[in-house]
Amino acid sequence: MPGTGARNCRVLLVSEIDRASLAAALREPCSALVEVVADEGPVGDWAAVAISTTGFYVSLTTGTSFGLQMAALVSDELVSRAVISREQRSVIELCLQEAVANAIVHGNLGISSTAKDHPEGYRVFSQLVNERLADPMLRRRRIEVLTRWSGQALDISVADQGDGFDTSLIPTEIDGTSRSGRGFVFMRALAGRVAVTDGGRCVSLRFAL
Amino acid sequence: MEFHARNLADAIEVRLTGRLEFTDHDRLRDIVALLDGPNLRRFVVDVSGLDFIDSAGLGMILILQEEAEQKNIKLVVRGPRNDVKRSIDLAKIGEIVTIEY
Repeated sequence: MPGTGARNCRVLLVSEIDRASLAAALREPCSALVEVVADEGPVGDWAAVAISTTGFYVSLTTGTSFGLQMAALVSDELVSRAVISREQRSVIELCLQEAVANAIVHGNLGISSTAKDHPEGYRVFSQLVNERLADPMLRRRRIEVLTRWSGQALDISVADQGDGFDTSLIPTEIDGTSRSGRGFVFMRALAGRVAVTDGGRCVSLRFAL
Repeated sequence: MEFHARNLADAIEVRLTGRLEFTDHDRLRDIVALLDGPNLRRFVVDVSGLDFIDSAGLGMILILQEEAEQKNIKLVVRGPRNDVKRSIDLAKIGEIVTIEY
């Protein structure tokens, strides 16, 4: 994992990252952590990200972020940097988890929630996830998490590179039988504000501090 | 998520540990397969060892409920606590699944 040994860096470039090395990289005093992919070229989306000491940015490929528990690691880091308390952590982790899961599965992997809407749907869904994770183009799509905080609020944005979706279809409430839409209901119930922009490719969450 | 199954007289108890989340669909197939056990009347999903569940994980519990119902097996979710209890309550899963707190 080149780059993680450098102290006081502002942008950390990493490759071949796993959960332990991502956690270690997040603890570095950097403002941006970007997974570098061979033959992708020297400039990625991270180049335009404003460097800040009151926030950090993580950009990973879908293939890497799947299974890394990114929401838990980012939440741990926010606790470590004394941005949030341990009591606030669980709410933030769940909201971030829902945003990251949507970005990976429905965004970058392009799997509709209706894939589960028939008998044996969960098998089809599982098969689709595995097939699409094996597609090099889809694996390479990025998941970006940007955190920023002030004295009053923590803002977290999660962006993907999928096709987006019709945001008017987001349910406002669910019952126990609902097959989809719980993630957004969780976010709306627990975050101070939820905004969906860029045609459904970006979810922004605000939490009072 | 890890799981451990235990056979009882007319029931199977499946204890889940760790985190049940959107990356666990592959393991769901193995748990659903346990519903094919002989003379099964009850299927207990012990979630007291779960630390975290997301909406996809709750969806998996609903899938287990549907699969159990089709086989006339009573599904019970036992022992949710802390963050897991909060998610189950928020999603109103108790409206259609028996939850033993």
